Amino acid sequence: MVDPIFDYQFRLILIGDSTVGKSSLLKYFTEGKFAELSDPTVGVDFFARIIEVQDGTRIKLQLWDTAGQERFRSITKSYYRNSVGALLVYDVCNRSSFEHIPLWMMEAKRHIEPHRPVFALVGCKIDLVGTDNKNGARREVSCEEARMFAEENGLHHVETSAKTGLNVEEAFVLVAQEVYNRIQTGEYKVEDGWDGIKTGFNRPNGMDFNLLEAETVQSTCC
Amino acid sequence: MPSSDSEDFESADEGQEENDKKVRKKRTSSSNYGDNALETISEPKETIKSSARHQTDSKPKSDGWDDFDIDCPIENEKVVENKEMKKCNVSKSKEDIKSQDTGWDDFDDWGNEETLIKTTEQKQQEVKSDKDIKELTDKLAASTVQSSSWGWGWGVDSLLSSATAGITSITSQVSQGISNVLETGIGAPDPEELARKNLKATAEVTEKHPDRNVNDDKEVVKEAAQTSSDDVSFPFGSLLSGVTKFVETTGTKVIAGGLDTLETIGKKTMEVLQDGDPGLAKKRAMLGLDPGEKPVLSQILREAKAKADEEDKIREEKREAKEVHYENLFDDFEGLVHLEALEMLSKQVSMRIEERLRAADPEKKQDIKETMQQVIELCEIPEDEDDEETSEDQSKPDAFHEKLQIATQDLGLKLQFQSLVKQYTDILDFLSSNDSMNEKVIYKRAVSSLAQATALSVEIYHKTAEMLLVKTRRSTADEADALTQMTVVLTKHISELATLFTVKLNSIASGNKDQINNYITNIFLESGNSSTYIQNAFQLTLPILQIGAV
Repeated sequence: MVDPIFDYQFRLILIGDSTVGKSSLLKYFTEGKFAELSDPTVGVDFFARIIEVQDGTRIKLQLWDTAGQERFRSITKSYYRNSVGALLVYDVCNRSSFEHIPLWMMEAKRHIEPHRPVFALVGCKIDLVGTDNKNGARREVSCEEARMFAEENGLHHVETSAKTGLNVEEAFVLVAQEVYNRIQTGEYKVEDGWDGIKTGFNRPNGMDFNLLEAETVQSTCC
Repeated sequence: MPSSDSEDFESADEGQEENDKKVRKKRTSSSNYGDNALETISEPKETIKSSARHQTDSKPKSDGWDDFDIDCPIENEKVVENKEMKKCNVSKSKEDIKSQDTGWDDFDDWGNEETLIKTTEQKQQEVKSDKDIKELTDKLAASTVQSSSWGWGWGVDSLLSSATAGITSITSQVSQGISNVLETGIGAPDPEELARKNLKATAEVTEKHPDRNVNDDKEVVKEAAQTSSDDVSFPFGSLLSGVTKFVETTGTKVIAGGLDTLETIGKKTMEVLQDGDPGLAKKRAMLGLDPGEKPVLSQILREAKAKADEEDKIREEKREAKEVHYENLFDDFEGLVHLEALEMLSKQVSMRIEERLRAADPEKKQDIKETMQQVIELCEIPEDEDDEETSEDQSKPDAFHEKLQIATQDLGLKLQFQSLVKQYTDILDFLSSNDSMNEKVIYKRAVSSLAQATALSVEIYHKTAEMLLVKTRRSTADEADALTQMTVVLTKHISELATLFTVKLNSIASGNKDQINNYITNIFLESGNSSTYIQNAFQLTLPILQIGAV
C-alpha cells in the first residue's frame, strides 16, 4: 500500500466521451497496467495515487473516473462539484470526441461553480496513430489544433498513451502542480464543505515541536 | 515571608526604575523602550567607574540594568545606534553610579524587610518632590516588569540548576545568588564590553576611561557593589505607598509573563559580556549562537538527537496506527468516497422528490407521501430469522455468492459481487494456512478485511443506486425487497468475518492473553462499525428507491 502520509488531497475528475480511454488512463496511472478490454464505467469509479510536486509536498490525488455514456450524464454531473481539477479527455483518433470537449468544459465549469478548477486537455491513444493500416485508426485530431484550443482556453495540453504509458504521469502531475501553485498563491484554499482540496495525514513535526517550545517557556516561570 | 520577599524585591527595583524613568525623560522623551535599552548599555560603564563618587542626584540614577537585559537579544548593529545616545548620556552617566548601587544594594537587602521599608519611604519622598509623580507611577508599572525581572534573571541564572524548587526556596536563594553575582563579578558585564564592540561609539567614552579593560571589570563591580551597600539607606524614598499597588499588580504580571523571557535575555547578555573577545562575541551574537552555552552544546545535540528519534518513533507509530486504523483503511479501499458519492446522489434525488411534492396538487401529494412511507416500510430489516442452511457440497464463498445473487435477483440489475467473493476466499485461505502467525498479524488482517469488505459493500450500494437511476422500468417493491435482503446478507457476512478472525485469535496458544482479548474486542467493535456503514449506505439508497415509485 502507498505511504499513508500526504500533505494534501486533491480531487480531480475525468470527463469526456465514452470509450475515449479515461479508465485506461487512470488504470495505467495508478496501477501501471493496461487492459486491452474493459467494461464501460458505471456512474463513477475511483482511483487514488500519491505524487510529489516540485517542492516535495506529497499530494494524494483522488481521481473520479466518470462514465462517458450518455445515459449516466444526469448522474455524473452531480459528482462535479467537489473537484479542484478536471481532465478533459478525448481520443486523438476520434474527431467527435474532440469536438465535444467545449461542451464538457462548459458543463464542468457550470457545476463546479463557484470554484474555478484547473483544466487539462488530454488526448488519448496516441499509440494508435500510424497504425491505421491495421486497426483503421488514424489521427483525426492534430496536435496543433488541440494545442491551439488549449491556448485559447487557458488549458494545459498533453497527448498520452495508456498502452505505452507515454505522458500519462505528466498529465496528472501537470494538474496537481498547477493546483498546488494556486494554493501557494492563495487562489485556492482548504474550505469547509468543499472537498476539492483537503489537508492530509499530518507529518509529525509542527504540532509536537510547538508543544515542546511552549513547555520550555512555561517551566522557566517560577 | 517569601512572598513579601519577592514583593520587596520588586519595589526595590522600582526605585531604580523610577529614577531611570526620569533620566529617560530628560534624554529623549520620544525614545522607546528598546532604544533606551541600547543607549543605557553604554552608561553603566561610566557608572561603575564613577561609583566612588556617590552622587546624590536622583535623576540620573537610571541604572540601565533593566534596560540592560532587554538589550541582550538585540543585535550588535543596534548597539551602534547607541553611539549617538551615549554622547549625550556620557555626561550624565557619571552620576549614574548611584542607580547601580541602589539596585544592587537593594538586592542584597531584599530579604531584610526593615531596610526595605526604609528605602521605600525614601523613595516616596523622592517621588513627591517630583512634579510628574503620577505620570511616573504610571510608567512605573511597565518598567517595573523589566527591572524586577532583571533581578530574577540574575538570581535564577546562577541558580538555574537547583531552582526547580518552589518559589519560596527560590526567593531565598535568589538573594544569595545575587551576592554571589556581585562577588564573582558577574555584574561586571558592564557596558564596557558592549562599548568595546562598538569602537566608534565608545570612542568618546574610552577617552574618559582609557585605563579600563575587561579584566578590571570584576573588581570594579565589586567596588561598585560595596559602595552600593554602604549606600543602603540612601536614595529610595518613600515611594512605597504610592507604588505598592503597581507593584502588586505588575508583580504578578511579571512573574507570569516576562520573567522567563527576561531571564533568558539576561543570561545571554551576561555571556556575551563575559566573553573576552568582543569580535567573537559579536560574531556569535550575529550567528545567534550563545557562547555561554558552549559547555551545554553537547547536551543540546543530545537533546536534538533524542527529539529526532522521538519524531521518527512518532512517525512510525502514526504509520503503524494508520495501518490498523479502520477509518483510514476504509478510505484507502475507496469506501468513504463511494459513500460520499452515494450521499451526493441521495441528496440530489431527495431534492427532486421534494420538488415533485411541491408541484403536485394536494391529493397527489398525499399519495406520494404514502408511497414513500410504504417504501420505507418495505426496507425495514427483518428480525433475525436464522436460516443457516449451508449445503455441504458448496464452499463458503460460493454459498455467499449464491445468497447475494438470490437476494438481488429481483433487482433487475447486473451487480458484480466477484470482488467481495474473492476477498472472502482470500481471507479463508489466510486463516486456514498453517503458517504460524502472531496475534498482531491476524489482528491487522482482521481490521483490514473488515474495512475492505465494508468498502466493497458500500460500493455495491453506490453502483446499485447509479444503475437504478438510469434503469428504464422500475419496480420499486421488488427493488426494496431485494436491497433489504442484500443488506441482511452483507451484515451477516461482516459478522461472519469477525467471528472467523476472533476464533483464529483464540486458537493461538502462545501470546499475550490480555492483548488478544483486547484485539478481539476491537474486532467486534469494528464489525459493528462496518454494519453501521452498510446500514447507512442502505438508508442513502432509500430515496433512489422512492423516486422510482413517485
